[in-house]
Amino acid sequence: MSNPVEPQQVQQVAKLARIAISEDSLAESAGQLNQILGYVQQLQAVELPADVKPFFGAIESVNAIRADENKPSTDREQILKNAPDSNGEFYQVPPVFK
Amino acid sequence: MISESQREAIKFEDVTVIIGLEVHVQLDTQSKLFCGCSTDHGADPNTQTCPVCTGQPGSLPVINQRALELSIRTGLALNCQIARYTKWDRKNYFYPDLPKGYQISQFDQPICGPGQLSVTDAKESFPPRLVNIERAHLEEDAGKSVHDDAGRAKSKIDLNRTGTPLLEIVTKPDMRSAEEAKAFLNELKLILTYVGVSDCDMQHGNLRCDGNINLHIDIDGETIATPIVEIKNLNSFRNAERALSYEAVRQFDAWQEDGKTIGDAPKRTFGWSDAKQETVPQREKEEAADYRYFPDPDLIAVTISEQQIEDIQSTIGELPPQIRERLKADYSLKQYDADVIVSQGRGVVDYFLAVADGCGSGKVASNWVSQEVLRHLGETETEIDQYPVGAEKLTELLKVVVSGDLDQTRAKDVLAEMVESGASVAEASDKLGIVKVDSSEIDSLCQQLIDENEKVVNQIKEGNDKAVGRLIGAARKINPNANPGAVKDRILAMIAGE
Ligand SMILES: [Zn+2]
Repeated sequence: MSNPVEPQQVQQVAKLARIAISEDSLAESAGQLNQILGYVQQLQAVELPADVKPFFGAIESVNAIRADENKPSTDREQILKNAPDSNGEFYQVPPVFK
Repeated sequence: MISESQREAIKFEDVTVIIGLEVHVQLDTQSKLFCGCSTDHGADPNTQTCPVCTGQPGSLPVINQRALELSIRTGLALNCQIARYTKWDRKNYFYPDLPKGYQISQFDQPICGPGQLSVTDAKESFPPRLVNIERAHLEEDAGKSVHDDAGRAKSKIDLNRTGTPLLEIVTKPDMRSAEEAKAFLNELKLILTYVGVSDCDMQHGNLRCDGNINLHIDIDGETIATPIVEIKNLNSFRNAERALSYEAVRQFDAWQEDGKTIGDAPKRTFGWSDAKQETVPQREKEEAADYRYFPDPDLIAVTISEQQIEDIQSTIGELPPQIRERLKADYSLKQYDADVIVSQGRGVVDYFLAVADGCGSGKVASNWVSQEVLRHLGETETEIDQYPVGAEKLTELLKVVVSGDLDQTRAKDVLAEMVESGASVAEASDKLGIVKVDSSEIDSLCQQLIDENEKVVNQIKEGNDKAVGRLIGAARKINPNANPGAVKDRILAMIAGE
């Protein structure tokens, strides 16, 4: 397989996705990713008729569109309950600028 | 490597400034891009959100029809190719005001493709510039963060703005000065307001702008480029112009100092400091932005038909560049005067056209609209539809001015009275004691002046026509309603023995 994923790249991708992966399991994850990419490579090798166009979703339908109308929003007290921290008005997060 | 002495020989005037812009426009919809929450400003924090725009598990976004239409409308106004098939992608990054951990945006199939906008300066300080638009894509806005400046207290997050529709318009790096960039922004804003897709209110952040800038320097038959800088969040056109001018000089000085070119340094991000009046580097991210775009599996693609495009095109109407040309060609206005009227918006254009057509003189209408009417609107901070003198009434007044029956000064008094009391031309004239002076009265007035001012008459006879000015002053005192132009012509004719 060309350019197999190295453990270091796994680390990089995990960081971007905010996923914690321990040093020990980097090699294992790299192996799993390489298996998936290997499978995709098999698919890419299939010869397609020239008139088959790429598609971007699992279903072919298009145009699920709604009119520009207001619907009631969720009660603030209710929606803030989903957050780990709030002051009843705002969500609260650790200081962004330190 | 170019040597220091070679660099020192180059002057700032010799370099080419290269500027491209990214403009975010908030589209004028009632509801958000993918849910029914309101887009109104000023509501209490977090009162305009729902499971969709806060990214709760199991919620599904559905695209807003009006946002699509306004995007197509904008694209058509900017001469863009409109996609027949368009889709949405996830732009992945983490920030507290982005609840889903990704922004729904468009990556490789934007709703608007390449277009262009021509920018002309009314004062002709630069030649007309054709600015190519690379693309315009439809995406959702993020929320707002309130940070503690000291960095001690928690940051507060308001998600009311989250999910509001934005159209991001990206230009090619086609502008050659900060002045051109500002002119482009002005023209873009004017067009967007003409076609009614956004109010472009910068104070509310409904139009936001980032600029990319670097320099091209010709040296020894080679062109080298300085590292590109992106200046973020230019919150007014004036600041955009200042920041870009400042940055061009800063890059030139930096290059003279260290000789670094585009290959030697990555693109950097700067902000504009109003307090310091300079561009300041923003904190660099640890790694280069890697957004890992992929198609959003929650949304399906949208197809746009020829019919839809035609229907929208048919409602766009005449745009500022065409109106300027028409005012110049059909109403004999100069570029500058046409620009003054067009830049005030469609309402003032329609007002001008009605008055010009009615009174029969584009020039007279232009003078009165740009001087009297616009001054009043400026002083009272009102719009043309609130101006107390409608187009029909001003037309009536200007007809009398064009025919010469009323002189400019008296007509201005009449207009002031009409503005003040809402009177008609006739009522205002009555109130000011203005009566039409017929030609026999003018004749006897002129005869009286000739008889009483032998000295002046002799000067005129000797060829000094300008001396007649003194008689006009005298005529005013005897009969303030006598038209000075008519008095002047008649006196000169009578002295010439006609
Ligand atoms: Zn919502």
